[in-house]
Amino acid sequence: MIGETLTLKVAAASAISPSLRHLRLVAADGGKLPPAAAGAHLQLVLKGATRTHRNAYSLISRPGARDAYEIIVRRVPSSRGGSAFIHEQIKVGDVLEAGWPGNLFAPVRTARRHLMIAGGIGITPFLSYLADFAFGGADYALHLCCREDEQHVFDPWLAGKSGVSVHWDADGRRLDIPALLAAQPVGTHLYVCGPAAMNDEVLELAAAAGWPASHVHCEHFGSALSGGEAFRAFLAKSGVEVSVGEDESLLEAIERIGVKAPCLCRGGACGVCVTPLLDGEADHRDHYLSAAERETGRLILPCVSRARSGRLVLDL
Amino acid sequence: MSIAFKPEETFRGDYSYRNSDAAVLRFPFPFPEDRYMYSVNIEPHVRSGPSDVFLRPFDVDEHYIAECRDKAITLERDPGRCQVLPHMMMAQWDTLELLMENLSADYPEQFSLIKEGDDFGSRWTWINRPLGIEQSFIFGNAETLPCEPFEYITRQAQGDFAICDQRDDNLFMDAGMVTSQADWSLEFDVGMSFMEWHGPVPLAHQTGVFERALKYLLMLRLGQPVRRLNWTMSINPRLDTSPESYPEWGPDRASVTPENAGQKVHLRVELQTLWRLPRSNAILFPIRCYLASLEDLARVPKWGARLHRVLSSLPPQLVEYKGLTRYLPAALEWLAQHDDGRELPVGTEAGVSTLAPR
Amino acid sequence: MLHSDIKSRPTYTQLEPDLSGSQHLLIVEGDTVLPGRLDSLAGTFAPVEENLHTWLVGTQAGGLGLGKVWRLPEVADVVDAFACATRGYGIGDRLYVQGTEPFLWSVAKAAAIIGFSAEQIHLHHAGSLRRRVWCTHCHTVTENVTTSIASCAGCHRHLLVRDHFSRRLGAFMGVMVDAEAPGEVPAVEESFA
Repeated sequence: MIGETLTLKVAAASAISPSLRHLRLVAADGGKLPPAAAGAHLQLVLKGATRTHRNAYSLISRPGARDAYEIIVRRVPSSRGGSAFIHEQIKVGDVLEAGWPGNLFAPVRTARRHLMIAGGIGITPFLSYLADFAFGGADYALHLCCREDEQHVFDPWLAGKSGVSVHWDADGRRLDIPALLAAQPVGTHLYVCGPAAMNDEVLELAAAAGWPASHVHCEHFGSALSGGEAFRAFLAKSGVEVSVGEDESLLEAIERIGVKAPCLCRGGACGVCVTPLLDGEADHRDHYLSAAERETGRLILPCVSRARSGRLVLDL
Repeated sequence: MSIAFKPEETFRGDYSYRNSDAAVLRFPFPFPEDRYMYSVNIEPHVRSGPSDVFLRPFDVDEHYIAECRDKAITLERDPGRCQVLPHMMMAQWDTLELLMENLSADYPEQFSLIKEGDDFGSRWTWINRPLGIEQSFIFGNAETLPCEPFEYITRQAQGDFAICDQRDDNLFMDAGMVTSQADWSLEFDVGMSFMEWHGPVPLAHQTGVFERALKYLLMLRLGQPVRRLNWTMSINPRLDTSPESYPEWGPDRASVTPENAGQKVHLRVELQTLWRLPRSNAILFPIRCYLASLEDLARVPKWGARLHRVLSSLPPQLVEYKGLTRYLPAALEWLAQHDDGRELPVGTEAGVSTLAPR
Repeated sequence: MLHSDIKSRPTYTQLEPDLSGSQHLLIVEGDTVLPGRLDSLAGTFAPVEENLHTWLVGTQAGGLGLGKVWRLPEVADVVDAFACATRGYGIGDRLYVQGTEPFLWSVAKAAAIIGFSAEQIHLHHAGSLRRRVWCTHCHTVTENVTTSIASCAGCHRHLLVRDHFSRRLGAFMGVMVDAEAPGEVPAVEESFA
């Protein structure tokens, strides 16, 4: 079970509401997919006409499934275009590149109880949680806050599951979040996934109610992405200039043009690729350089770090 | 691929463990340079490297049967060498699946896995020919195995295994099967956080090695395992150098002389790999131990000379921490005859394809 | 020896109420309260007195004025009280413990079993430095160790008391000191009085 990228085929696609599209993806070669965990996401490479999007979507397939991955995508008018691409362009039979599943939102295994608060499409990671908790016999409660007309959209995944409450904006149907948070026993873990405003509200209320920070979890997709804005780098020793694309690392770009750069972990930890920075301002994303070293602005780890200004000059 | 197992050899008592010439040549020698210091020497665990032990993710070699038997003896005497905290059941199944899938794919002559499905609830049949085991069970149902899944599969694998639960931006050693360790106690350390279980290691904390390693491991990805080599030394080819049994093997350290050091003193190399587990999101940490006597190693000229230089220049804190104090002078005296002072190429490769006769 | 380079060695803080907590439980090993100190502790916790319960454990538990006070004979009763807690504790509750290290970790472990997280538990070391020592060889726990080398209560080996600490066991590691050269036992020092 070693690999980085998957080639997937769209096996089924359906609208489960006017703004929600469900996709079922299988391995394009008919083989088995790597199993994935509750809370895992899949990064899809969506090759549009003008640019390539790499968007991460929560897997809603049952944890451990190897026959197919399932996702639900909401069409977001303000999105970078990935959700629009999925809603408008993708059809059954299309082939997509994807990364192996990642997980930045796994349930905490030591929890005595799991309390989930979802806002609308934010329910997706919790659909896999429910299957996981059913296997382990964990104590849990799921509160879904959504529009009234969407209250039944997720029924196919919630059927037969206890501990699920649905709330919407009407008298008697709203979720009293402060009361819910105040009533939880010691050992409870809180997970929230929804619109940013709702996430922030729940996090603030939990802190005010004395929840230990380590028991409060919020899904952030942003940190799964390693790319950023495109920039240019001049390699002084080699005398060549390279353009670093949005979806590639500086190291990958250097390698692409055939300049040899030492590296080991490719994750910003080992420090092997540390390179003198002769000019330009770095956007440091490594775990290696000390604050003082960053301050001097003279070093960079090209495996993860990028340019803050438009052009870097490296001693390579 | 057929493997010429040596089922009768022992790792205690008469210590009849020996490496074949092929086993010496594939030994994962850990010193690329003449000096050693801690570093975050982590690299992707790909199917290649300077030694054949890297060709398959879980290496099985000529010592497989004997090592599994030694593990069983140790567990019989001290069942506490296998510890699993209650929240680790999902990770137990992840481990069983990972090991069964890899072993059966890489060593089809020795292992087979027949599945009626991939999901929990499916009937699986596992065949381990070297150990003469055939077991049908329901994947996900621990009651259908003779013991819990982690213990079941790690009894049939060389080396030690720990599972680290990931939570609160930290790793916790919440399960382990540890019978061939370099002097650390699983029963004492189980449940500890990353910094806590590395607590006794000298020098490395101050240089920030552990902070960096932890941050890196927290981002470890499914499908992209990593590896590093670690090392220490043992007297006699003994797998069980645990603190638990220290009263048994401790006296051996006082038995080393410049005359017998070549046979008695062994370099003990751990191939440590780290795997993100798919369902539990935990990290599996297999620690595969390779043993070679100084005499074995000196048959590779580059290795004998380099080992002499590394051990000569080791910081005193590391000498003490690795427990070498009592016998290091004798080992160095023995190794000196194999070091003519010539410049050695950087790298760990043996640089020879056959060994001089013993 | 309360501070050490070994990272498994816990560090302790002065007790003060965490105002973000909802209910507050203060558990004090009575022997470790110096005359007059209980009053000063009462002053420290005055801001949360309405939501404060105090458990005074052991013989000389004197003093008043720390919210609702409950007296318990020994630490085993604290462990029992947690184990059979009929009142559920809340996720916003805070626990403060003062005492010797074996006391602190007996209480912290019992609290962790019913779900308290480390962030909810504040530990303050007071009184003797005596240690609980876990024998690596026979796994017996030897209590009240004050010396650098101690005789194991189980196997009677001479154990070197290391600084490596297990929160799960609430104990330091003891390893046979003369395994490599039987009988060569270094001088014993009174290190943890």
